[in-house]
Amino acid sequence: MISRVLTLLLVLAAAFSGADVVQAADKLRVVATIPDLKSLTEAVGGDLVDVDSLARGTQNAHEAEIRPTMMLKLRRADAVIENGLDLDSWVDVAVNGANNPNIVRGARGRIDISRGLPILDVPTIRIDRSMGDVHPLGNPHYSMDPGLAPIITQNIVDGLAALAPQHRQAFERNRQIFLGRLDDEMARWKKIMEPFQGAKVVVYHPQWIYFLTRFGLVQAATLEDRPGIPASPGHLVRVIEHMKSEHIKVIIVEPWNDRKLAGRVADDAGAKAVVLASMVGGVKGADNYFSAIDFNIKTLSEALK
Amino acid sequence: MHTLVVVCLMLLVMLVASPVAAQEADTLRRELEQMRKSFETMQQNYQKAMDALNDRIKRLESTPAPIAVAPAPPSAIQAVQGAPPGTGPGSSPISPMDLLRPREPFSLYGRRGSGQLLFDMGIAGDFVGSFAPHNVQKSGAGTFGAETNRFFPREVEVALFGQVDPFARAEVRIEASETSPGTDTQVSLAEANMTLLTLPYGFQAKLGQMRNRYGLTNPIHEHDLPYVDRPNVLRNFFGDEGLVEKGVEVTWVPDFLPFYLEALAGVFNGDNSTAFGYGRITQPLVTGRLRTFFELSDTSAIQLGISGATGQTPDRLSSTILGYDMKYKYRPEGWLHPLLTVSSEGLYSMRRVEELVTVDDNVVGKKSTRDAFGWYLQGEVQPVRRWAFGARYDASQFPTQPGFEWAIGPYVSFFPSEFLRFRLGYKYTERDRTQITPFNQNDATARAVNEVFFQASFVLGAHPAHPF
Repeated sequence: MISRVLTLLLVLAAAFSGADVVQAADKLRVVATIPDLKSLTEAVGGDLVDVDSLARGTQNAHEAEIRPTMMLKLRRADAVIENGLDLDSWVDVAVNGANNPNIVRGARGRIDISRGLPILDVPTIRIDRSMGDVHPLGNPHYSMDPGLAPIITQNIVDGLAALAPQHRQAFERNRQIFLGRLDDEMARWKKIMEPFQGAKVVVYHPQWIYFLTRFGLVQAATLEDRPGIPASPGHLVRVIEHMKSEHIKVIIVEPWNDRKLAGRVADDAGAKAVVLASMVGGVKGADNYFSAIDFNIKTLSEALK
Repeated sequence: MHTLVVVCLMLLVMLVASPVAAQEADTLRRELEQMRKSFETMQQNYQKAMDALNDRIKRLESTPAPIAVAPAPPSAIQAVQGAPPGTGPGSSPISPMDLLRPREPFSLYGRRGSGQLLFDMGIAGDFVGSFAPHNVQKSGAGTFGAETNRFFPREVEVALFGQVDPFARAEVRIEASETSPGTDTQVSLAEANMTLLTLPYGFQAKLGQMRNRYGLTNPIHEHDLPYVDRPNVLRNFFGDEGLVEKGVEVTWVPDFLPFYLEALAGVFNGDNSTAFGYGRITQPLVTGRLRTFFELSDTSAIQLGISGATGQTPDRLSSTILGYDMKYKYRPEGWLHPLLTVSSEGLYSMRRVEELVTVDDNVVGKKSTRDAFGWYLQGEVQPVRRWAFGARYDASQFPTQPGFEWAIGPYVSFFPSEFLRFRLGYKYTERDRTQITPFNQNDATARAVNEVFFQASFVLGAHPAHPF
């Protein structure tokens, strides 16, 4: 009897471990540094990938806390998809602690999505830290510009296909489906934003330039004195005066930034502070790429009315 | 007669001049004809160019999504201030069609031009002011010994780090510090090591000189410590510099466990004169560590670790130090910094010592094992981004002599930015006896020590993110 039970257990164990192997062999285990890239990778990878994200949508992607659980996710990963342009350079610390040669710099499993993107805010003058936390390679917050999604998804297809060439066609097919939907949504979003062409807005952190440019809005000022440097009272006074003189109606706030301060400045300037999803999952209901951008378009257009 | 001469002269002039005028008119006609032809050619070329552009625009408009982005509009505030940090127009010179074409992996970096460094470089400066009563200064009983009642550079460090090649990364840290009053500054190699990143089965190896990954605080450099001074137990058991050794550390992270676990084993010379000191790889210092981590929720997490190190003293007597460490952080959702951090670390030393004793009027060496224990507990609250308030309690015996000390030290930190920090601290230390070396120099003693610290730290350039 005991030997039968043992045999049964062994068979069950073998079956389950076999299932794991099949699953592991079939699916690519991908870790994205930020949830925007997770959502886009899911769209491209479909059922062929398991995607996880290191940072959460409510966090500041610049300053994610390096937790060993990140290392655990990375330990099992076939690929890491990173935003690049120094936004998520913290991932190096997590990768170094993961002991996974598949994803170290230079490995095929290290996919930098910023390749080939038309980058904005690239410094054209000598920069240093007196200007705040400036990015020498340009503004890294491109992922929430739906107009750049075709290039981003192409980079994801290329990166995943390098690891699983047999699935390239499937990835490309998923991408085309995604882009088809994006076309429809884009037309709708542009129609919503059409009446606000040229409108000026104030942002808390300079991370909306791609989104604003895409829909014809103008970034008039930032609440931060300089990127990453908390605002001084003198700077806020200048911003409020500027908002009043230019009749600026909206301050865009990231979910992780100081909403109370933004609210006070908006009150003083006779404007409205709105929280937009700086990343997928940044606000309730912004659970994927489309719903996050849709939320931002709706919220911003309502505020600009 | 006179009139007739004038008329004749005029006729003569006209006769001579008429062929010249006719010649000039022909030339002009030819030039005009050439210009007309040239203009027609230009017009045709222009039309061709316009047609080509129209075709291209139509093709682009038929692509799934527009991808050309207009240059960023300049910030009005920045324009007023005349300081446009990083907001210049950055439209790419690459055409949209080029962007969709397959690219070389590093084409983006190629655009940055030659001469760029292929590794990162950072400089950290850490200056400390230590203030205490005169008897503390004279006896050397202060936390910073001979530097009591001085403002001094504790650590100015140049760090170079980056990828060596696809298989390894390297790190070199050179530091200068003042260890005794005066104008002299001591320059030393703080760390120089390489890490092999592509070993199989989840292994990684670090070779060279390094701050050992023993416990929570030992791997941290002075300027990154969350308090002004290194905890008493670490200074008593490993010396002021901590455990810095030359050798190799191998880590292993299994991928089959449902939780994070890092196992570490190391072999070193054993140069640390406070704890070991034999200094030969043939009788090595062997270290080990297990570290695990649990996410209690999205906002709170705890890290636990145990460490061990065993080696030989210069007398070839064994010395073993075991340790535990714990760190808890609570970071509310969306916060850029933790609201609460609690950490603790304890060390237990078992050291064989040989003491001279008199037996039957003969002085003989008698070997025994001396045990010593020390620990600390630290708590820090950071309610706002720029300010943090904390305190640390220390309790420690001494590994090579009798005695016990405890200390309490509150502190406040102010961060104008991520790269600049000021800290003010107070520390009260009490020892259970006066004759504890090296706190009884110059025939002076100080059982109870009151100290005030001021610390100013900066970071220039690159600085890697800190792990949990």
